[in-house]
Amino acid sequence: MSWISRFVVPIGSLAAAALFAAASATPARADAPITALYQGQSIRFSHVASKDGAPAIGVNDPGFTALLRTTDAVLTWKAGERYVLITTSVPTVVSFAIGDRRYDIGPVVLQAAFAPYQRGNEVYLPFNEVLRGLDLALRDDGAVKVLQPQLASLDVRTSRDRVTLLAHGGAPLHPRVVAQSSSTVTYAFDGVGTALAGTRQINSGGVRSLQVATSGTVRAPVTTVTVTLQSGASVHAPQNNGERDVVLAVTAAKASPQTIAEESPTPEPEPSGTENATSPPDGNATPATGPVAVTGVTAQASDMGATVTIEVSGNASFAWHRLRDPDNRFWVDIKNAQLQGPPIDQAAPSPVVSMRARQVDATTVRVALTLGQPNVVSVTPSANGLQIDVRNDQAPDDAARSGSGSIGTVVSSAEQNAALVTPAPPDNASSDSGGSGDSTWKFGPRSDYVPTNPRLIVIDPGHGGSDSGSEHGGLKEADLALDMAKRLRDILIARGWQVKLTRETDVDVYAPNDSPHDELQARVDVANKAGARLFVSVHANAFINSGPYGTTCYISKPEDVPLARMVEAQLAQDGTKDDGVIKSHLYVTYHTRMPAVLVETAFLTNPSDYALLASAAWRQKVAQEIADGIGQYTRAYPVSGQNAQ
Amino acid sequence: MRSPRFPLLVALLLIVAAAAYWYFQSQRARNGETIAVYYTKLDGTSLGSTRVSMRPREPGESTAEHLHNQVLYAAVEAVTGPPNDVKAIRFPPGTHVRTVAIDGSTASVDLSKEIDSQAGGSFGEDGEFKALVYTVTGIQGIDAVQVTVDGSRLETLPGGHLELDQPLRRSDW
Repeated sequence: MSWISRFVVPIGSLAAAALFAAASATPARADAPITALYQGQSIRFSHVASKDGAPAIGVNDPGFTALLRTTDAVLTWKAGERYVLITTSVPTVVSFAIGDRRYDIGPVVLQAAFAPYQRGNEVYLPFNEVLRGLDLALRDDGAVKVLQPQLASLDVRTSRDRVTLLAHGGAPLHPRVVAQSSSTVTYAFDGVGTALAGTRQINSGGVRSLQVATSGTVRAPVTTVTVTLQSGASVHAPQNNGERDVVLAVTAAKASPQTIAEESPTPEPEPSGTENATSPPDGNATPATGPVAVTGVTAQASDMGATVTIEVSGNASFAWHRLRDPDNRFWVDIKNAQLQGPPIDQAAPSPVVSMRARQVDATTVRVALTLGQPNVVSVTPSANGLQIDVRNDQAPDDAARSGSGSIGTVVSSAEQNAALVTPAPPDNASSDSGGSGDSTWKFGPRSDYVPTNPRLIVIDPGHGGSDSGSEHGGLKEADLALDMAKRLRDILIARGWQVKLTRETDVDVYAPNDSPHDELQARVDVANKAGARLFVSVHANAFINSGPYGTTCYISKPEDVPLARMVEAQLAQDGTKDDGVIKSHLYVTYHTRMPAVLVETAFLTNPSDYALLASAAWRQKVAQEIADGIGQYTRAYPVSGQNAQ
Repeated sequence: MRSPRFPLLVALLLIVAAAAYWYFQSQRARNGETIAVYYTKLDGTSLGSTRVSMRPREPGESTAEHLHNQVLYAAVEAVTGPPNDVKAIRFPPGTHVRTVAIDGSTASVDLSKEIDSQAGGSFGEDGEFKALVYTVTGIQGIDAVQVTVDGSRLETLPGGHLELDQPLRRSDW
């Protein structure tokens, strides 16, 4: 066959090139500039062309640049690159590729009117598709062109007793109720148009149907969404989830009784999960051991057929099976999972006939579909669970009848731990560690480091001086770290240790306004030059919102593991969540030669953690627990020639 | 003497082979490649992932160009993060990828200066870079990521904790 391949590839390439040339044969034609109104301002697009009857816009066009800036979007492309990527303010990536009509808006793959092409040093993109990615549309009423914000999507999520509508727009959405009765409610979205006009039957969760319509003018459009309710359904007030996202919700009168039909006449066999099992899409995926919740099962029509989305709260494994035609049932079992809410039994968009979800045993949730025929089905783990795509096409007779995979986390804590610890404990490490309760962690690897001052512990209060660290509600991380470090120092000294703080007041360790590197290296130098036994850096954590809370111990080196684990075991009792030990490339833990740990004690940005940090008694408790962890470690890992303390 | 049918047979085989090649190319174009885009969950350590599709390598696109394009796409997706309704540690608003470059198996990713606007603490910083490094090193041929900010190599972010003046690898987490 080798002689064939020698001919085939060049011929194939020629054929492909010829096809490409043919596809590109329609020449682009420069057009007159387009001037359009956006948010009351006139934008002139001058790098405009026509291609296959559709407008094209050059990426270097000043008007286009201004539009991107106004919409907080960023375009990434430079000469020689194939992809033209627009990151919108949502944020979503809108991707184009030179020579390819396909374009993506986030996970959605679409076809453009023409493929982006390069002319000179500029790429021309299909303008309408670019605007669609920005949730805009170019509208013309004969007198004026307008870049009209769109009600770009209206996702319908149904469960047995509730329907949630997620509306996303190209402008801030402020729906107002313009009509309401016991059977309908109509919301008006001022200032946005839509291409979603039409009616959709729901017949579930208290909603019979949805009707989307547009009115108003090109300059002042109004989109209305009318929800026709089932008897007794209640309507919730719209809730903004960010400026451009609104949640509209309806609750059914009462949940229907649990009447999941038994799968008959052929019972679904007990899933083995191994028969013709397929690997998960990501070979690294590793299910976690904790139970997860199946929080929703929804079905939507798609271009190719229907998509069933199973929302899962965490990591889980799954196995799917299907029966042989004419019994066209398909089901997937989510292991170690609990179904939240009542069982589901409802109709679903074609080619799915019906959809059911139930708890089949104490730890397994089963989602079953009845298909109209032996359709092609693909199962894909997604960010939030599982996506089942049922296509209108018919599956071949020899299509797989079962498979399995994993949802969620791709790197488990167990894997991280395994990478960090020595498989076999050293002979002299079998002494009582003080009961961390985890023998795997107890015996961490030893480094070659020998402290020249085995009685010295260096404590590093994070930040200070010109860098106050996180600040929230009048509390500064630098002050809190210094306070806890001093408390820890006093406890350790009372226990017979020598202690050195990298700073004893609110100062920079290296110099005011120094570089981060110099500052962190100065702290590392204190410990390395002194030949200290241990290094403990004390911090307070923060995040952009108030959600995260808890205590985390960060490490970098294998020899940090036992110390961090024992400190963390003590801190687990500090009154906030124990977020465990996390390995990272933090400067101070990475460059210190001795076992080191950076303790992020609690989150300044979380209200309950903040209250703890503000409490002197709690800070004393934390200092005590860190000291106890150090004590456990030094007893378990005595330095040769030194008595354990 | 060769049979007069031999050239016809060869021509027929060539046509069949070319048609098969075209078919598989078009199938590949239809299916495309996918890459895993990782994000760090709000526990600060575990990773979730979404998959985004890539374009297959074009005729005339060199291996180096294709790798560059893959890395660019992956980095942009990682910095953009998962859909809004996914709970994840996210890069500071406005952070975007300015450019990427490949040097051997190390990808340099130049981020915009908005990355400096950290909330403070190790939590966000650690989760952001972990997601970026896992995503970009998921591309075959890349095993390290050198982060630069606004064109310059930094030792750490201002007031930061993570060391950035050397390439980051998955093994750093």
